[in-house]
Amino acid sequence: MPPHPLSRIRRAAQWGDVRSRGLGMIAYTLNRVTGLGLVVYLYLHLIVLSLLAGGPSSWDAFVQIARSPAFLVLDVILIAGWLIHGLNGLRVTLTGFGIGLRSQKVMFVVLMAVAVVALAAMAVMVFSA
Amino acid sequence: MTRELTLEIFRYKAGDAAPHFDTFRVSVPETANVLDAIEVVWAVHDRTLTFRHACHHASCGSCAVRVNRREKLPCITPVSDYANGRLTIEPLRNFPVVSDLVVDVSGFFQRMTASGLVITRTAETSLDGKPVKLAEGMSRYNRFEDCVECGICISACPTMAASDRFFGPAALAGIFRARQETSNRPDKVRLLELADGEHGVWRCHTGWECSDACPQAVNPAEAIMSLRRDLIVHRFKKLFGK
Repeated sequence: MPPHPLSRIRRAAQWGDVRSRGLGMIAYTLNRVTGLGLVVYLYLHLIVLSLLAGGPSSWDAFVQIARSPAFLVLDVILIAGWLIHGLNGLRVTLTGFGIGLRSQKVMFVVLMAVAVVALAAMAVMVFSA
Repeated sequence: MTRELTLEIFRYKAGDAAPHFDTFRVSVPETANVLDAIEVVWAVHDRTLTFRHACHHASCGSCAVRVNRREKLPCITPVSDYANGRLTIEPLRNFPVVSDLVVDVSGFFQRMTASGLVITRTAETSLDGKPVKLAEGMSRYNRFEDCVECGICISACPTMAASDRFFGPAALAGIFRARQETSNRPDKVRLLELADGEHGVWRCHTGWECSDACPQAVNPAEAIMSLRRDLIVHRFKKLFGK
């Protein structure tokens, strides 16, 4: 077997390369990026919850930070990740059952439009609460 | 009318420390295809350039390369598609490179053989699945499959980039077609089980790149999703003893 001139890591990195690729590949990469982001968030969330063990003073200090505009932007990014991953996941599930195979691109565009509208509404709610 | 092109071509020979690109400037007729331009490079500039080609009309699938990052059959890709005249030509991804634009397709063909896909149909069935009577004077029907086994779907597939053991879009589409061809139930079940497993249809992460890139509209992604649906139905039936 001849050697492969690309290293295994460089080959595997191709799944994140959307240059010149189609809509399906953009959806594929979006799902992975948001999925990884949500996993990181899960651990951050557990770390934050562990502050409760430090009593009311440590929790109240965190709540002050959580109400800052910079933190609220992170909240909006988190909601964007949930919406994109969840709605695109719905498309992946449907096509995985053989449903909507011919309209998977349209489904992606429509679901992402829903995500944008829902994100805008939730961003307003986050900043006006 | 001629067109001036700048071709950046991937170069790699066995023993090289790393691949590199060579740049060539060529002049080709306005109506030329990309393969014509590659042949000019070989004929006029560098006889050591290695590339694969045969039919020049998208039947053999042997010339498949990547042109400006997209998988193409250069024999049917007009140079006029690239308005700025700059073309970067690379071998297909996810195959070991033998030399320059030539990749080792042996593993790919082994999987295609395992899929049970015959290149020509040996029997024709009607829509209700019953064999069609042969016309008088004919001993059998021969109808060519759409897949030209070019390997473009393997190169486009992001899952293939991460796993050499994935059965791959073309072979899975082959299994789907082979299942359509036979009315023999044990064969249908055997083929379905071949597509099952962690390196079969479940390994696909639905990037749909195989279907986007396929030059023959075989639509491997749709075949993979259809096999998944058939597997789910098959498992439910087994669960209830049918």
